[in-house]
Amino acid sequence: MTAPLLVMTGAVKRFGGVQALRGVDFDLKAGEIHALLGENGAGKSTLMNLLSGVYTPDEGTIEIDGKPVRFNNPREAQAAGIATIFQELDLVPSLDVAANLFLGRELMRPGGFLDVPAMRREAKKRLEAIEIAIDPAAMVADLSIGQRQVVAIVKALSYASRVLIMDEPTAALTVGEVERLFDIMRKLAATGVGIVYISHRLEEVPGIADRVTVMRDGRVAGITEPHAPQAELVRLLVGRPLDELYPARIKAAGKPLLSLKNASFKLARDSAGWQAPQGVSVDVHEGEIVGLAGIMGAGRTELLSALYGTGLSGRWEGEVAISGKPVKLDSISAARHAGIAFVTDDRRGSGLMLRMAVGLNLVMSVISRISPNWLVSPHRQAEAVKESFGQFDIRPKNPDIAVGALSGGNQQKVVLAKEILGNPRLLLLDEPTRGVDVGAKGEIYARLRALAAQGLGILVASSEMPELIGLCDRIVVLRQGRNVAEFMGGVDEHTVLAAANGREA
Amino acid sequence: MSDDKISPASAPAPAAPQKHRDPLALIVRFQSLIGLVLVAIGGIIFSPRRHGEILFLNPDNIANIVRAVSETGIIAIGMTFVIITAGIDLSVGAVLGLSSVVTASMMISGGFGLIPTILAVLALGIVFGAIQGTISTRFRLEPFIVTLAGLQAARGLALVVSGNQYINISYGDGPGLAPPVFAVLGERLFNNTVPVATLVFVVFAAVATIVLNTTRFGRYVFAVGGNERAARISGVPVSMVKIAVYAITGFAAALAGIVHAGQFNFGSANDGMGYELTAIAAVVIGGTSLFGGAGSMVGTVAGTIMLGALANILQLNNITPAMQLLATAAIIVLAAVLQSLVRRREGLGR
Repeated sequence: MTAPLLVMTGAVKRFGGVQALRGVDFDLKAGEIHALLGENGAGKSTLMNLLSGVYTPDEGTIEIDGKPVRFNNPREAQAAGIATIFQELDLVPSLDVAANLFLGRELMRPGGFLDVPAMRREAKKRLEAIEIAIDPAAMVADLSIGQRQVVAIVKALSYASRVLIMDEPTAALTVGEVERLFDIMRKLAATGVGIVYISHRLEEVPGIADRVTVMRDGRVAGITEPHAPQAELVRLLVGRPLDELYPARIKAAGKPLLSLKNASFKLARDSAGWQAPQGVSVDVHEGEIVGLAGIMGAGRTELLSALYGTGLSGRWEGEVAISGKPVKLDSISAARHAGIAFVTDDRRGSGLMLRMAVGLNLVMSVISRISPNWLVSPHRQAEAVKESFGQFDIRPKNPDIAVGALSGGNQQKVVLAKEILGNPRLLLLDEPTRGVDVGAKGEIYARLRALAAQGLGILVASSEMPELIGLCDRIVVLRQGRNVAEFMGGVDEHTVLAAANGREA
Repeated sequence: MSDDKISPASAPAPAAPQKHRDPLALIVRFQSLIGLVLVAIGGIIFSPRRHGEILFLNPDNIANIVRAVSETGIIAIGMTFVIITAGIDLSVGAVLGLSSVVTASMMISGGFGLIPTILAVLALGIVFGAIQGTISTRFRLEPFIVTLAGLQAARGLALVVSGNQYINISYGDGPGLAPPVFAVLGERLFNNTVPVATLVFVVFAAVATIVLNTTRFGRYVFAVGGNERAARISGVPVSMVKIAVYAITGFAAALAGIVHAGQFNFGSANDGMGYELTAIAAVVIGGTSLFGGAGSMVGTVAGTIMLGALANILQLNNITPAMQLLATAAIIVLAAVLQSLVRRREGLGR
């Protein structure tokens, strides 16, 4: 093998009192695809940010071609040949592909005018170099997420071409798009580019990586072959063998809780792209976990947000009842009054007050309970916070730090704990484990099952089929806003997928 | 962050003992108090002396400082609520002007008594603010735009009411005269030491501190600024809270307008020009984030007094108003930079 292209030795990085990296060694060879795995909070992102110049290490060194380097900002890292593609792609949606590729380095005509045709020609050439057919004149906003990813890669490579760091590039991609992305990555590696591929999708690793580094608690937990057994990877990831991700189903289904019969949500105004529920019939019983499956745009999220009143304005038609009594669910307050709680799929955007303390976030949905007489009772608040920390193992165990400083998994636990504090009867969950690591997933599943055993009804929408199949008692499949099939939990994935896509199994 | 302390939930953190806060974060948390102390020390050092007496520390001088800042201070207190919700209220200076004009004209040409006048003016401020809040929430408009329009509207109304004249307030019994007790706003109590205007400021600040830190409403204010969508989903009555905070700034501006009329014995449509910016500066120096969700009343009070003390020490040394503006500018930038540094340290983005 060739000498490493990039070597990081003994990297330490602290944020205030938190030590994010505790002495990490990492290296990358030219032409290698090196997968970097780790749960949220393990230090992957910090490592990436050190390599890409966003942060500078407190201790430790980075060498490129054996020469020590120090990056004070991303520009210096780019100059050294390191390009980074962040999860939030740094593209301007309202500009076209060529304009994005040349942003800040526009090709000009004499006199200071933009040379648009030249930029489009060059953009086309670069896209074709990796055998991708994207119109350079297309608006980025009109591209699919997968296509945007490709544009971001081409853009990054035009800045710097030796090391490519990709932060969870497959998180938002469909299966087909992932395959295409992997093809591109292999082609790039074949030209000698070293690729750091950050992910927490274990199943993708054998297909793409040449080497795997697993991080845990700010350290390297192990470096293995990509074909190492999955159980070995999981052990490295969580530090202990993980027996069962999904808790055993408990027969606890009791009286009917939510029942929708031929229910439709009539929007006050037409809205393209919002798949309103149409003639949906779904039941959730007390103590039952019901899953909502369906392809993108089938109306899973819309059904939940229409039930909770967070979606577009409109009204329900048909039968909507809670515990046999018809209810008018037309606003958040009506839903809450009916005992419904909702956990959003976008915890950072609409779930948490990121800069506020964990404790203050936790009590957010029970403010009136902790403030009898309109004065907040510190005692009741402390009690509520304590209850939440008892429900979920939120780390660090400190209610005073800003919730934005927690890892994704812990943030998700805070969002869930917050809604559970309100003692709902029906819990609506949208993508309850998006961006959550395996360890936290297992804990969340166990907790949900335990709550169901106490009589809580849960309706959960998810795009992760194994999650629905493993967690739920029943799975309702939606297509174009209607329920088209229903299965018991444990059904095989292909059957559900076929129903979701409108094909025979 | 609010001053609420949550006692640690259960057992203390297992591994590393809870390290103390980032010192920079502590500095920022108390930045306006630290700034106030520094300005005071600077004041003592650079104060001109007469017969060995440090003029800066002269009781009359100190009374002057706290009196001079009382009006912008009252406004800044209200503004703190709005800014914690991630809003802004540019209309407050104009509402002060409108209020002082209405106060003067109700008592002088309207012949209303003291209590009806004060109640009516405060109600005017509340309604004016609530209307701005309602327009902003109902039509989902930026508060910046709505209150910019409000500023113009309030100045316009003040011109209409005053006929673009100074309305002088003369005291006495009978028609066309204000009740003499109103003049107390320009006086000092407790052996001629504490200006009444300052007393109004301090009492208002105390009430506001309690409301912000210990009531359900205060918690809602932080929630709306912390993440409006999350607050809505958690069942916080977001629109009501927003309308209420603009009603509070309206109330504060009206209160400041009454104090203004009482201190200067006239009402003019041009009163309170630019006060909104001084108030916003005081709030920001006090550590309240323009992004919302974080802030403190104590900080605002300290920021207000610090700006006043700084202006005073520069005046005592006969330094031009131009330099005062530049010094204020430097302090605002410094306060903002400190906050930004802490956000980055905490890894919470810029």
